[in-house]
Amino acid sequence: MTMTLDGTSGVTFNDTSLQGAAASPYVLKNRIINGDMRINQRGWTGTVVTDGTYTLDRFIAFTSVASKYSVSQNAGSVTPPTGFSNYLGVTSLAATTLAAGDYYMITQYIEGYNIADLAWGTANAKTVTLSFQVYSSLTGTFGGVVGGNSNPAYPFTYTISTANTWTTISITVAGPTTGTFNSTTGRGMNIHFGLGVGSTYSGTAGAWSSNTYYSATGATSVVGTNGATLYITGVQLEIGSTATPFERRLYNQELANCQRYYYRTTPAFVGGRFGMGQAYSTTASIILTQFPVPMRIAPTALEQNGTANNYSTLSNTGSGVTCSAVPSFNQCTNVLSETVFTVASGLTAGNATVGLVLNANAYLGWSAEL
Amino acid sequence: MIYKIHSTNLDGKTIYARIDDDGLCRLTCTEDYPELKSWLEEGNTPEPADQ
Repeated sequence: MTMTLDGTSGVTFNDTSLQGAAASPYVLKNRIINGDMRINQRGWTGTVVTDGTYTLDRFIAFTSVASKYSVSQNAGSVTPPTGFSNYLGVTSLAATTLAAGDYYMITQYIEGYNIADLAWGTANAKTVTLSFQVYSSLTGTFGGVVGGNSNPAYPFTYTISTANTWTTISITVAGPTTGTFNSTTGRGMNIHFGLGVGSTYSGTAGAWSSNTYYSATGATSVVGTNGATLYITGVQLEIGSTATPFERRLYNQELANCQRYYYRTTPAFVGGRFGMGQAYSTTASIILTQFPVPMRIAPTALEQNGTANNYSTLSNTGSGVTCSAVPSFNQCTNVLSETVFTVASGLTAGNATVGLVLNANAYLGWSAEL
Repeated sequence: MIYKIHSTNLDGKTIYARIDDDGLCRLTCTEDYPELKSWLEEGNTPEPADQ
């Protein structure tokens, strides 16, 4: 193996790769969760109708006007970049003219605990580098923002020179010495990838601002072209001024990372159980479901698939009683949920029971997203 | 999409149901749910519970 040490350029390996600076610590190098777009607990695919829609795990789609673009895992079925199997794919559904206050973007909020060591907002603020792989039907200058919750914001630009080709992007950001950044369970940092942002929320690239920005002035609008695509994967945010190889995490580790913010359980076969519980009347039972990892905070809502007769609970004879209403939220801690299963009749108060599904696609889901 | 009062939980707290545009309820929550808070801050009012 040939390795060249150079006091100016760094270390060059025999495959010509260059390490120009000390590597970031391996553990928790990448502050982005699901940066390789593997995890999609919600099974999300489709048009973004609601502003702030969670798509692939940890990635939120913002849309100031409904139904201007869609998001799907591996949209368009192009070959992902080497070493990746998945990407987040955006497809524009119209030629949208941006008003000043419009915003279309993909965002990840990073929890304060995961960026506290960056010391942002102090004299010791650390430099970070954001890197990712991007593929678009468009060429030009695109934009985004690294910033705190609302502000301060650091707009950045990146260039795609060749359409429909994966391009590696690296953006280095000097840590801000002013501003307030959450360092516990709140939003510590926001990463926005602009898909089209009006002038109100676009700022000068390459400088920190106390304004709320979501992209850089002059950036290409993906939603401005009907059918335009923007695909992204390998998103990494690390300490230092050099992008290093994407941090690979075991699937179960990354799934657990995602489940701190959202957990969906799908028993996957008819009769599969959500958990055990107790009937507290002839028509209702409480079913307990343990979360696989402690969630960021105690969830305050329960999701299910909207059809009561997809759910059931057992009577004291052990036979299933089909629900007469969809399962509903009772209460949660950050490790355990209580769900109400309601039936027309047939339960015995005080008896043990279980909650189960009568449709293999039925699920229960809890969010503790930032 | 609207919210309506769904029930009272075992601790006496009001539970709300989100009714989607297709008429299905896919989410129930407490008043602490951030999206319900935002909806209320926009001046909306939950519908009363079904009788």
